[in-house]
Amino acid sequence: METAAVEKSLRSRRDLGIAVVVLVILLAAALRPLLQELLDRPAVAHWATIFVAITIQATPFLVLGVTISAAIAAFVPSGALPKLLPKNPAASVPVAAMAGAALPGCECGSVPIASRLITRGAPAAAALTFLLSAPAINPVVLVATAVAFPNDPKMWVARLVASLLAATAVGLVWARFGRDELLGRARSLHVHEGTKGQVFVGTAQHDLLHAGGFLIVGAATAATLQTVVPRGVLDTVAGADVLSVVALGGLAVIMAICSEADAFIAASLTQFSLTARLAFMVVGPMVDVKLIALQAGTFSSRFAARFAPLTFVAAVAAATLVGWWLL
Amino acid sequence: MTAAGGTISMLVGAVVLRLTFTDTYRRYVQPAMGKWLLIAGVALILLGLVTLINALRNVEPEEAHGHDHEHSHSVGVGWLLLAPIAALLLVAPPTLGAYGVNRAGSVKVRPGKAFFKPLHQKAAPVQMKLLEYIERSLEHNGASFHGVPVKLTGFVAGSEAGSFRLARYQIACCAADATPVVMEVVGTSGTPPSDDQWVTVTGTFRPGGGELPRLAATSIVEIPAPEDPYE
Repeated sequence: METAAVEKSLRSRRDLGIAVVVLVILLAAALRPLLQELLDRPAVAHWATIFVAITIQATPFLVLGVTISAAIAAFVPSGALPKLLPKNPAASVPVAAMAGAALPGCECGSVPIASRLITRGAPAAAALTFLLSAPAINPVVLVATAVAFPNDPKMWVARLVASLLAATAVGLVWARFGRDELLGRARSLHVHEGTKGQVFVGTAQHDLLHAGGFLIVGAATAATLQTVVPRGVLDTVAGADVLSVVALGGLAVIMAICSEADAFIAASLTQFSLTARLAFMVVGPMVDVKLIALQAGTFSSRFAARFAPLTFVAAVAAATLVGWWLL
Repeated sequence: MTAAGGTISMLVGAVVLRLTFTDTYRRYVQPAMGKWLLIAGVALILLGLVTLINALRNVEPEEAHGHDHEHSHSVGVGWLLLAPIAALLLVAPPTLGAYGVNRAGSVKVRPGKAFFKPLHQKAAPVQMKLLEYIERSLEHNGASFHGVPVKLTGFVAGSEAGSFRLARYQIACCAADATPVVMEVVGTSGTPPSDDQWVTVTGTFRPGGGELPRLAATSIVEIPAPEDPYE
């Protein structure tokens, strides 16, 4: 009896869900003239274009990340990862930072992968290090950086070194002081059961909706900030050395552009020093409003509130140090 | 609620494919992204379809077991994916326009960054990108133009009597990283075109002047927005 009741309630909830999808579409169709009128305002149109652009740009990377995450869930036996990685964080964190070079994508894809690695038993510090380094040091990003700075060939080397440094530092700080209960949601993440194919589809579907939803939150935030904060205000701090490094780090946080594109933006900010532009490229793939939304959703908001500032400080410090040394 | 989840995935995939096939995606991202969007769209539709079939046949194992996990049944935040879908299905947002030009820092071109071969007089005006025009005009004060007429395409971003600003965005990946290239068109007669109007301008380089490189126009033709709005 009870099972039948549970199944009935599940089925009615499912029907309700489809009804909501249909309702949203009908409602949107009814509101079309209103939407068109809104888009006739230049500020709204600017916002909508950037919002849609970030969403569209991220989609292929999200699909890649979700596919890898689902493959880990379906095909990597639980318990294999802890055996593979060194027990000591001092060894596993740098290994995870280097491993980031193997994932060609941007930051949207790496959050579901890192969270899946944690559910599969990888040490949190190593998974978080991978989360930070993968979008920053993969070959696609480094080649883009080399192309964007043809006159400063040291730039991509500096980016590689500074990003590895920042990711490793954050990983080691997390291994020493981090509290794993902050990762709450990732640790208790539901593991789908059934055949490998069912696990793959179930996980991919779950991660897609989850990460995709938070991506929307992040894209909307980034579009709002880009519409509200004129980039021209930056010119006022371009001259001040220390301030300009922090300012470009902050710009990377609010612009939330893909790590494969940020080198071209950095290259165009010629009024800033090379070190400040390095900070823009080291911070961007590790902390931005879109990523903060994704991390808060995937792990917990208390996690994001600690992890984002820590990463920002580490990234700016690493960029300053490496900039002073190499550039 | 996996059936709703599958429906949302299929919708996202369908919208992405529609954008790709209608070339509307070029308003938002670089043209080279096209093939990746195609792959992503197909993958999303397949994923949604399999999920939907599983849900309708009720073989989804977690439901058969009757667990009640916090996340397994709720699409939750995934509903938000319907927002861009609704926007794109109904009214696709336009390409970036004049609004952003005055707010963004424009492309800063260093003199001497590029070296250009001098232009030669031909029957037709030389077509070039706005960026190239600005780079040429900064190199030895536009020496490489040799008075040869050029043809430029962009949109209007602000105007005064007798002149207007012509702009076009450069993008590396998507519209979020767009940076405008701006120049000034002088010697126009009558009312200048309104903001955001796309135009093809023919004219010659005019040295000196203010902050922006200038072009003395001989003809201005209003055109519809091009398929590749960004340089």
